[in-house]
Amino acid sequence: MTSLMTSRTEKPGRSLSQPRPGPLQYLVLGLLALVFVYPIWWAVSSSLKPPTDIVRDPLSFSLGSATLDNYRAMFDDVPIGTGFVNTVLVVAVKGAMTMFFCPLAGYAFAKYRFPGKNLLFGVLMLTLMLPTLVLVIPLLLEMSQLGWVNTYQALILPGSIDAFSIFWMRQTIAAVPDELLDAGRVDGASEFGIFARIVMPVIRPGIAALGVLTAMNIYNDFVWPVVAVNDESHQTLQVVLSTLAQNVTGNRVGADFATVWGELLAAGSIAMLPVLALFVLLQRHFINGILAGSVKG
Amino acid sequence: MTSGTLTPPRKERAAPDAPRPARRSRRKPFLAPYLFVAPFYVVFAAFGLYPLVFALQLSFTDWKGAGEANFIGLENYTYLLTSEEFWSSLGNSAVMWLLIVPLQIVGGLAAAVLLANAKLRLRGMFRVAFIAPFVTPLVAMAQVWIVAFDTDYGLVNHLFNSVGLPDVDWLQSTVWAKPTLALLFLWKTTGFAIIILLAGLQAVPGDVYEAAALDGASRKRQFWSLTLPLVRRSIAFLVVVQTLAVFQMFAEPFVVTQGGPYGSTTTGGLYLYNHILASDLGTGAANSFLLVLLVFALSLLSVRLLRSRDE
Repeated sequence: MTSLMTSRTEKPGRSLSQPRPGPLQYLVLGLLALVFVYPIWWAVSSSLKPPTDIVRDPLSFSLGSATLDNYRAMFDDVPIGTGFVNTVLVVAVKGAMTMFFCPLAGYAFAKYRFPGKNLLFGVLMLTLMLPTLVLVIPLLLEMSQLGWVNTYQALILPGSIDAFSIFWMRQTIAAVPDELLDAGRVDGASEFGIFARIVMPVIRPGIAALGVLTAMNIYNDFVWPVVAVNDESHQTLQVVLSTLAQNVTGNRVGADFATVWGELLAAGSIAMLPVLALFVLLQRHFINGILAGSVKG
Repeated sequence: MTSGTLTPPRKERAAPDAPRPARRSRRKPFLAPYLFVAPFYVVFAAFGLYPLVFALQLSFTDWKGAGEANFIGLENYTYLLTSEEFWSSLGNSAVMWLLIVPLQIVGGLAAAVLLANAKLRLRGMFRVAFIAPFVTPLVAMAQVWIVAFDTDYGLVNHLFNSVGLPDVDWLQSTVWAKPTLALLFLWKTTGFAIIILLAGLQAVPGDVYEAAALDGASRKRQFWSLTLPLVRRSIAFLVVVQTLAVFQMFAEPFVVTQGGPYGSTTTGGLYLYNHILASDLGTGAANSFLLVLLVFALSLLSVRLLRSRDE
């Protein structure tokens, strides 16, 4: 299914009846693209400016005055290194759980018939409609009952095996020919062996898209981490960033004003960098992942 | 075919089978599929179902996070439904919705139509530019917004001044704070809308257009009678997803405005979070159920509205 979607984006359906786009179209698209990219460029370039320049002349940027002062100040002020390590840990473990358990369950739903399957699948689909919002308060209380507030398991376990990814993987695996699985069975592979050695390699593009999108979502996740964690040693990157932002808006006047802005932009830039780099490298997988989201509609 | 009788005996194999069963699904049920789906249901029971039941129970109590929890019936619900703050949080979200969703659908569709042209050069580059904001962390961009929309030293007012326009109190005025946050949301997610709509457009077979063109349908007519009905599903999907997102909006006001000025950016999501901060957990639970009900109703309504058109 993933390959199907790729071909859908790469190969436009209509060609003959469409006129060649004129300069106006390019101008509109170009301006729009500029609007989308400019804030990112502005944030990154400003983060390299001396703090006073950010305030005095927000438009200018010359390489001559580039400095890493804002980054140094930020590293001194907030535990951004700790935030990075925590985020990487959560992305790795939670992402690995999603990428293993969701295809496994998807495989069962796509290729087996078993009593209770429809009921189980119905429950799965119902949970798709459950907004995270309703769970935040009771989940937080559950964490404190378990003594899990400020722990990695609190950050990792809720949502680690999600209904949407299972549904997506079920659709992907349904397209794998049964003959392939039967061939594995003839060769004496176990049921799990068929999954691990036949299904997983065959659906690699789908797994890649799932992995990229999952990693992005976990990296950018904010609501649950900010609720579940309040001590510095377990904060994820996004929570560290928000703490910094609140210090600024809470205390807007004073001589340090420009300095804190510099830190803010440095923090934002450094948080964007990994995911933007990943996006540029793996954009096809990102787009396939985003599109898979619309298939369920 | 009759896999049951022809199966050669094998020892300790959870999945014995005929050499070539015609259909996988004819196979006898085994333990394997249950083991494969079990992890999800364990995680869901622990971190989905249990908290959900707990929240429902909590919403009928006056629990403050410590001490006794007294059953107070529907009091939390009636309190919220008669409280000005609750309605103002919904009102704020509704205004945000109006500022965001129509503009995003119309603008996104326009961009998608331009991008769908097969003769367009640099399509990949445009696409990357449009989705780049979608992949950036929201918190990081929210910080950029604080700096860029500052009244005295921000980038936007700097630009305004340079063309002779006066300063605007973007984040300190009850009028402008909502549009400023809506702009952040639009900037962040319109690329997503464009991609979804583009996929919808490109799923439309080309010969449909050629046939229409042969029949003498104008380009305008083709758009209204062919393109729009065919991407309706994508539009419906976007409306539902964005309605859910706008009414639950939390990180934008939390980071940029903390709900101010004067509560003008306290969205449904942020108001709910304020109950947690105040340890007013019973009310908070009731609030989340009311919000969820509303979001469901709105989603159903938008799907219904979009479906009833020419079908």
